[in-house]
Amino acid sequence: MKTLAYMALIAGIVSIQSVLLPHFSLWGAKPDLGFVAVCLIGLFGGELEGLLVGLAVGWAMSLFSAQDVLSAAIIKGTVGFIAGLAGRQVAYLSPVVLVLGLFVISCLIGLITPFALKLSAQQDLWWALWTIVLPQAALDAIIGGAVYWLISSHFRLEQWVSEYRL
Amino acid sequence: MRMVNFRLSYNARRVALALAVILVLGFLLLPGQLQTVFQTVGSPFGWIISWPLQAVAGIHDRIADVWSQYVALQGVEEDNRQLRREIDLLQEQNAQLRESAAATERLAALLEFKKQALPTLVAAQVIGRDTGNWYKTIILNKGTSDGLQSDQGVITPAGVVGRIVKTTSSTAVVLLLTDPNNAIAGLIQRTRDEGIIEGTTHGVARLKYIPLLSAARPGDRVVTSGLVGGFPRGLAIGTITRIDKEDEALFQSAEISPEVDPNRVEEVLVILPSSFPTEGERLGAPKPKS
Repeated sequence: MKTLAYMALIAGIVSIQSVLLPHFSLWGAKPDLGFVAVCLIGLFGGELEGLLVGLAVGWAMSLFSAQDVLSAAIIKGTVGFIAGLAGRQVAYLSPVVLVLGLFVISCLIGLITPFALKLSAQQDLWWALWTIVLPQAALDAIIGGAVYWLISSHFRLEQWVSEYRL
Repeated sequence: MRMVNFRLSYNARRVALALAVILVLGFLLLPGQLQTVFQTVGSPFGWIISWPLQAVAGIHDRIADVWSQYVALQGVEEDNRQLRREIDLLQEQNAQLRESAAATERLAALLEFKKQALPTLVAAQVIGRDTGNWYKTIILNKGTSDGLQSDQGVITPAGVVGRIVKTTSSTAVVLLLTDPNNAIAGLIQRTRDEGIIEGTTHGVARLKYIPLLSAARPGDRVVTSGLVGGFPRGLAIGTITRIDKEDEALFQSAEISPEVDPNRVEEVLVILPSSFPTEGERLGAPKPKS
């Protein structure tokens, strides 16, 4: 059941990301819903869940992008794994901390990605920082914070996470 | 403010660590092989995902149609007047071009030139854009089951759009002409100087490696040269807007305004492989002995 739910989530993310989000871009950069989803799943579900869902999301998104399959899967898998590790270490998490955390991790991943992709010489680090990394990180953080706030205000997240992990 | 307690035990940590190590090792040791395996296995998975993707694209198109046909009609009268003026101008140009074409045909027949076969085209619809921010691509609703493959050229009646870089059984990803990672062989129509066209980070294209003695100037049209890469000779790419000459450089380069606006393209044509002769075949060059 959980696998089916994750498959539906991945299909939904890919569809929205490629069809609707190009209309909601900030300075030409759109948010990465896959990144946000993997971070939240890693935080609440743990390392293994974060890693596996991250790999699947990265793989599925790369099928509809010029990005190579391996770098996409590895990057998203790593994000899920790190989110899972962070979830174990953090005792309490407020929406503000989550938003800041998402912003910082999105920036770090955005700065590493150009090296993994071997992009054109025109797309240097400075260009990447101002045109893609910062706008995308801002959007990722806002969306992640909003999703977290929505879930935590409508569901008993604390109890759900405790039961889920046990 | 609501707080969540994360201090919980988790048994699968070792499994996750082992999986992570295996993947990183695989990525470092067998990148090419893993890439092929992931891509092959992903094709049917891509087919499954393409259904919700096409459904969302269909809803999006319906809404866009309603908006453009009933809501966003401001300025239509002015557009109409402008278009009528352009039609008059184009009809006049068309008559002149027909005359030139007839003359060219007569001269080609005299010189016994071989005719350039028309390529076989497959029509496809744009259903989405790249899922990431690093590449400028469009997603087509046709894939390997329709005969589409990597490196095939994609055009509209106006000109070149880009090149297919990835396919699943029912979708294809097209790297746009304006992406800095794309390279297409081009030719300045008036001066016959050849070069390589790359996209830029500003959303236009640049023709590189133009000889220093070339008389190219802004306003010159650039077409495909047909030498390499999925396109026959003579397809419109764009118009030169600026020539850049640097001191002590071996070549000059030119900024090109593409003929096709990649942000507005909705339907495209894919050029199937081996459906058009190479320049050597077209000109009847002798084949090397095997």
